[in-house]
Amino acid sequence: MEILSNLFNVALLVATIRTTTPILLVALGGSFTTKAGIFNIGLEGQMLIAAFFAVVGSIYTGSSLGGMVIGVFAALVFALIYAVLVVSFRANEVVVGLALNILAGGITVSLLKAIFGTRGSVVGRGIVGLPKVQIPGARDLLGPSTAQLISGYTPLVYVAFLAVPLLIIFYNRTRLGLYIRVVGEKPEAAEALGISIVWIRYAASLLCGLFAGLAGAHMSLGYITMFTENMSSGRGFMAVAILIFSGGDPLKVLAGCLLFGFADAFSLRLQTFGFPSYLVLAVPYAVALVALFALSWRARPKRIRETVETIRRALSVHRSGEADRDAPLPRS
Amino acid sequence: MSAVHGSQLYFNRRHERAPRIQPEVRRRLSTYVSSLSCVNHRLSSPASVCFMDFAVDLTGITKRFGAFTANDSINLTVRRGEIHAIIGENGAGKTTLMNILFGLLQPDAGSIAIGGKTMLIDSPAVAIAEGLGMVHQHFKLVPSLTVADNIFLGMEIRKNGLIDRAAQVERTRFLSEKFGLRVDPQERVAGLSVGIEQRIEILKVLARNARTIILDEPTAVLTPQESHDLFQTLRGFVDDGMTVIFISHHLEEVMAVSDTVTVLRDGRVVATKAKSALTKRELVRLMVGRDISFDRRPRTRNDGAVALNVTDLWARDDRWLPALKSVSLTVSSGEIVGIAGVAGNGQTELAEVLAGLRPASNGSVQLHGHDILDRTPAEIRNRGLAHVPGDRMVRGVDRDATLSANMLMGRQKKKPFARHGVIDWAAVHEAMRALIQRYDIRARGPKDPARSLSGGNIQKVVLAREFTAGGDVLLIDQPTRGVDIGAQEAIHDEIMRQRADGRAILLISTQLDELKALADRILVMFDGRIMGSVDGAEMDEDAIGLMMAGINPADMTEAT
Amino acid sequence: MTNRLLFRGLFSKGLARTLMGQALAFAIALALGAIIILLIDESPVAVFLTLMRGAFGDTEKIAGTLLQTTPILICGIAACIALRGGMFNVGIEGQLFLGGFAAAWVGFAFSLPPVLHVLAAMTLAVVAGALWVAIPAFFRVRFGTDEVVSTILANYIATLLTSYLTIFLFKRPGGWSETPPILPSAYLPELFSFSRLNIGLLIGLALAVGVAAFFRWTSAGYAVTMVGSAPKFAEYGGVNVRRVGFGVLLVSGAVGGLAGGVETLGVHHRFMEGFAPGFGFDGLIAALLANGSPIGTIFTALFFGALRAGSLLLEVDTTASREIITVIQALIILAVSADLMMRRRGDRTGERRWKF
Repeated sequence: MEILSNLFNVALLVATIRTTTPILLVALGGSFTTKAGIFNIGLEGQMLIAAFFAVVGSIYTGSSLGGMVIGVFAALVFALIYAVLVVSFRANEVVVGLALNILAGGITVSLLKAIFGTRGSVVGRGIVGLPKVQIPGARDLLGPSTAQLISGYTPLVYVAFLAVPLLIIFYNRTRLGLYIRVVGEKPEAAEALGISIVWIRYAASLLCGLFAGLAGAHMSLGYITMFTENMSSGRGFMAVAILIFSGGDPLKVLAGCLLFGFADAFSLRLQTFGFPSYLVLAVPYAVALVALFALSWRARPKRIRETVETIRRALSVHRSGEADRDAPLPRS
Repeated sequence: MSAVHGSQLYFNRRHERAPRIQPEVRRRLSTYVSSLSCVNHRLSSPASVCFMDFAVDLTGITKRFGAFTANDSINLTVRRGEIHAIIGENGAGKTTLMNILFGLLQPDAGSIAIGGKTMLIDSPAVAIAEGLGMVHQHFKLVPSLTVADNIFLGMEIRKNGLIDRAAQVERTRFLSEKFGLRVDPQERVAGLSVGIEQRIEILKVLARNARTIILDEPTAVLTPQESHDLFQTLRGFVDDGMTVIFISHHLEEVMAVSDTVTVLRDGRVVATKAKSALTKRELVRLMVGRDISFDRRPRTRNDGAVALNVTDLWARDDRWLPALKSVSLTVSSGEIVGIAGVAGNGQTELAEVLAGLRPASNGSVQLHGHDILDRTPAEIRNRGLAHVPGDRMVRGVDRDATLSANMLMGRQKKKPFARHGVIDWAAVHEAMRALIQRYDIRARGPKDPARSLSGGNIQKVVLAREFTAGGDVLLIDQPTRGVDIGAQEAIHDEIMRQRADGRAILLISTQLDELKALADRILVMFDGRIMGSVDGAEMDEDAIGLMMAGINPADMTEAT
Repeated sequence: MTNRLLFRGLFSKGLARTLMGQALAFAIALALGAIIILLIDESPVAVFLTLMRGAFGDTEKIAGTLLQTTPILICGIAACIALRGGMFNVGIEGQLFLGGFAAAWVGFAFSLPPVLHVLAAMTLAVVAGALWVAIPAFFRVRFGTDEVVSTILANYIATLLTSYLTIFLFKRPGGWSETPPILPSAYLPELFSFSRLNIGLLIGLALAVGVAAFFRWTSAGYAVTMVGSAPKFAEYGGVNVRRVGFGVLLVSGAVGGLAGGVETLGVHHRFMEGFAPGFGFDGLIAALLANGSPIGTIFTALFFGALRAGSLLLEVDTTASREIITVIQALIILAVSADLMMRRRGDRTGERRWKF
C-alpha cells in the first residue's frame, strides 16, 4: 500500500512536469514581451500555428527536428506580424492578439482540410515525435521510480526548465535583457540613451515567438503525436494570466506554471477516478481564474487610517529629514 | 542652526575641492539659504572664462512644425567655461533649440559647430561623442535598476559578454567622489528623492565624458535648498573648465547662477548679454516683450463666514507614504487663501482629498459646516465645491470630446441641460457658445474638439465650466501653469471677480508672484505640512522661501 | 431629422478619413485572403462567388444570412456596450452559452402560457449572462483584475459547464449531447414560413437603435461614454467610475445572455453541445470593426452573417473548408487595426487607438 501511494506520487510529479512544460515554454516566451511592455494576448495563436506546422514539418522532413524548426518558424511569422502591427503601426495589442488567435484557428482548420482532407484531427501519417532523452546512469543511481523524475523526457522538457535560470541571467546580466526591461519599464530612458524601442520590442516579440513555437511543437510532437483543432485549448491564455501576476519574472512564472501543470495532471488523474470529464477539464481554467482573482485581491489598494504610531513615525521622519536631506521627499 | 546642518556638511565637502569660496561667504551662506536673489551676488565670483574658443556655436538655426516656426534663424554662441542661461517663456523655443543641438530634432536650416568644428548632429549618439551631455527636465531613470546600472545604461562595462556589475559600481563610486555628487551605487532608484535622481542624471552625463552639459529646467522640481546645492555643483564644473548651458524660465535662478544670458521670445533670440549687465526688470521686459508686473490686485476687505474648514487632515500618496501631515486651514467667503510650496509637497494630494478624489487617512473637512470627507466627488460638488484641477489635460478635459461635451461634465443630469435623463444638446451648445463669448475662448464653436485648442484656452474652458457650476467654494490648482502671459492676466481678473462675488477661494500655485498678486493669506506647504502663514499684503519673500525649504523662520531667529 | 442626427452621431469623427481607411483595410484584407485561398488550391474568384451565392442567392439564402446575422448582431451590441464604457468583454461567448442553456432549461422544464413562457426563458437567459460576467466585473472594478483574461478563461469554463449540464444532468433520453426540446409555447415567433428566421432579428435591430440613442441622448449614456474615453476626467466630474464600469459589464453580459436565449428559443429549440460556436467572438469583431457604434454594428454583423451563411455552400461546392471565412474575418480586423490612413497621428510614445 505504501509503495503504491509512493508510486502514485512519483507518477503524479512526472505528469506534472510533462504538463507544465508547454505552458512554461509559452509563458517564458510571454515574459519577453511582458518585460518589454507589451501585453501579448496572441500567445495562444502562436502556439497553435506552431503545433500544426510542427506536425506538417515532421511529416514532410521525416524528422522531429525538422518539424520543430518549421513549427517554430510559423510561430515566428505570427510574432513578426504581431510586432509589425503593435510596434510599428501601434495598433491595439488586445485587438491584434485576439485577431491573430482567430486567424491561427482558421488557418489550421482550413489547411487541415486542404492538406489532409480531414476535419478535427490528424494522427499517424508518418508524424515523427520528439525522442526521449535517457540520462545515462540515472536508473542505476536513483532506482527506476525516482529516475523517471529526471530522465526520459523529451528534450524540450529540459529546455523549458533550464530556460528559467538562463532567463534570470539574461534579464540581469546581458545587454539585450537589460534593454528589454528598460524599454518596458521606462521607454523614455531608452529613447534618451539612443536605445531603439522599436527594435528591442521586435526582438522581444520574436524571442516570444521562438518560445511559443517550441511550446507548440512540444504539444503536437511531445507525448502525443497528433494535431487536433484548437489543441492549445486556452493554455496561451493561462500563460497570460500567469504573466499578469508574475510581471514576467522567470521564477514567479515557473511557480505559476507548476501550479497549472499540477492542476492539469491532477485533473487527468481525477478523471480516472470517474469524475465527470467535463467538470474535471474545467479545473485548470478555474485554478487560473481563482489565482488571478486572489492575487489581484492581494495587491488591492488598501484604505489606510493613521494611528498614533504612524503619526509619530511620519512626524519623526520629517524631523530627521531636516538633518538628512537624502530622505525621500514626497512627490506627486 | 541645526536646521541647516545638512548644507553645512555639503559646503565642507565642497571646500576640499574648491577652496575659492571664502570662509566668510560660506558662513553667511549656510545661515542664509533662503532667497536665491540674495545669494547670487556671493556665488557668482568672477568665472575664469577662457575667451579662446567656443564650446557651442549655432548659426541661423530654423525649425518649423507645420505653419508654426519654433526657432527662427537663431544664433547662439556659448564660450567654453561659462554658465550660459537660455531663458524664455513657455513656448519660446528653448527646448526645441536644445533638442536640435542634442540631435533629437533636425533643423530646417542653419549649422552647428562644436569646439569650432561644423558638423551634422543627426542623433544623440553623435552629440554624446562630441562631448555634449543633456540632463532632461523629466528624469529618465529606470526605477527597478540600481544607481550604477542606470549610470552605465547604454554603455555597460562587460566581461565575457556579461555585464560586469562590480566594475560599474566601482566606477560610479569613483565618479561620485571625483565630482562631489554623493550617491550609493548599489541602491535601487525607486524611492530616491528628486534631488538624488538629478545627481544620478548628472553623473550619467559625466560618465560619458561630457564637457558641455545642457540642463533643461533643472530646478523645476527641486526645493530651494536642492537648487542651491545644484548651483554650487555647476559652479564647480565650470571651474574645472567645463561648460554649462542652463535652460530656464525662472528669473531668480538665472540671475543667481549664470555668466551669460540669452533671451528667446517667439522662437527668436532677443538678446545675449552678460549677466552683470542685466537687471531682473530688464530681463522680464526682454522675455515678455513689454513691462508687466504682477502687482497686487486692489481689493476691499470681505468679512465672510468660514466656508471651508480643514482640521488635522492626513492622507497618503500613490506609494502609500504620508503626503499630508496634520493639515489644518480655513477659507472664508470673499477670501483668497493661497497655498505656496515647491511642487510635490502635498499640494496635489490636498486638492484631491478636498475634491473627494483621494481618501484621507485621518482628520475632517467641512464645507459650510457639513462633513464632506469620504463623500463622493459628486456629493461634494453638489454641496458647492468647484474644482479646477492641476493636471488639466488628464483630469480637466476629455481632449477628444467636443467643448460642449466637456462643459456638460458634472451637470449632465441637471436642468436646463437634461430633462428626465435625456440631454438637450441644443441647450448645451447654446450655453457653451455663451461661455466662449464670455470667457474669450479662442475656438470656432462649441463643437470643436478640445484638443484643437491651445493650453491657455483649454484652461479657460475648465475655468468657465467650474466658475459657472454654482459652487461657492472654489478649489483652484495651478490656474496659469503653461498659460501664456496674456491669458494669465485674464485668468487673474476672473479669479478676482469670483472673490468680489463673495466666493471662498483656495488657490494652489507654485508661482510666488501669482500668489502675491491674488492671495489675501498665503500658507506655505512643505513635506505635507503647513509650515506657516503669511499675510498677502505684506508678503515676506524671505520667510516664504525659508518655509518652502522646510525651515521655520522663527527657528532661524532663535539660532542667530 | 432624427435620421440625420443619428447618422452624425455614428460617424462624428472624421467621416471621410475613417471610411477611406476602412475601405483600404478591407481591400488589403481581401487581397491577403485571396492569397491564402490560392495557397489551399482554390480559385479566389470561385470562393468569393460561392460565398455570395450562398449568402444572397435566393430569398431562402437571404433569410439564412439574416438568421446567422441575428446572434452576431446581438453579441456585437453586447460588445459595443462594454467597449463604450472602456471595457473589453471577451466573455460574450460564455455568456451566450449560459444564456442559451438557461433559456432551454426554462423551455423544457416548465410549462407556461405562450408569451409568458418566452418572457420567463428570456429573463433567465439575461440573468444568467449577467451573473456569469458579474464576478470578473466585480474584480475588474474593485481590484483591477484584467477583464480580458478573466472573461476568456471564464469562456472555457462556461462551455464545459453547459456541456456537463447537458450531458450529465439534462440529456434527452436517447439523444446525444443535447437537452430535451423546449415546449412550443417557448418558441420565438418566426417571421416567414420558409425559414427559421424569427423575431430575434427585430430584437437585435431594436437593441442597436436603442443603445445608439442611449449613448447619444441620455445623461447616463454620456457618463458611460466619458468613463470609456477619459476615466480620470469622469471621476473628477462626479461620475462613479467603478459603478459605471461594473454596470456596463453587467449589461453587456446580460445582452450576451439574451443572444443565447434568442438562439435557443428561435433557432435550435433545444440546447446542445457547441450550439452556437464563435458567435460571441464574431460579435466582438463586428463591434470592433464598427468602432463601437451600435448602428455600424448592424452592417458589420450583416457582413459577417453573410460570410457565415455563404460558407455553408462553400463546404458543399468547393473543397475549401468553411473556416476560410474565419481567416478572412481575422485578416480584416488585422488590417483595420493597423489603420493605415491614421498612421501618422498620435505621438511617439504611443497613445493607443481604438478609443471608444
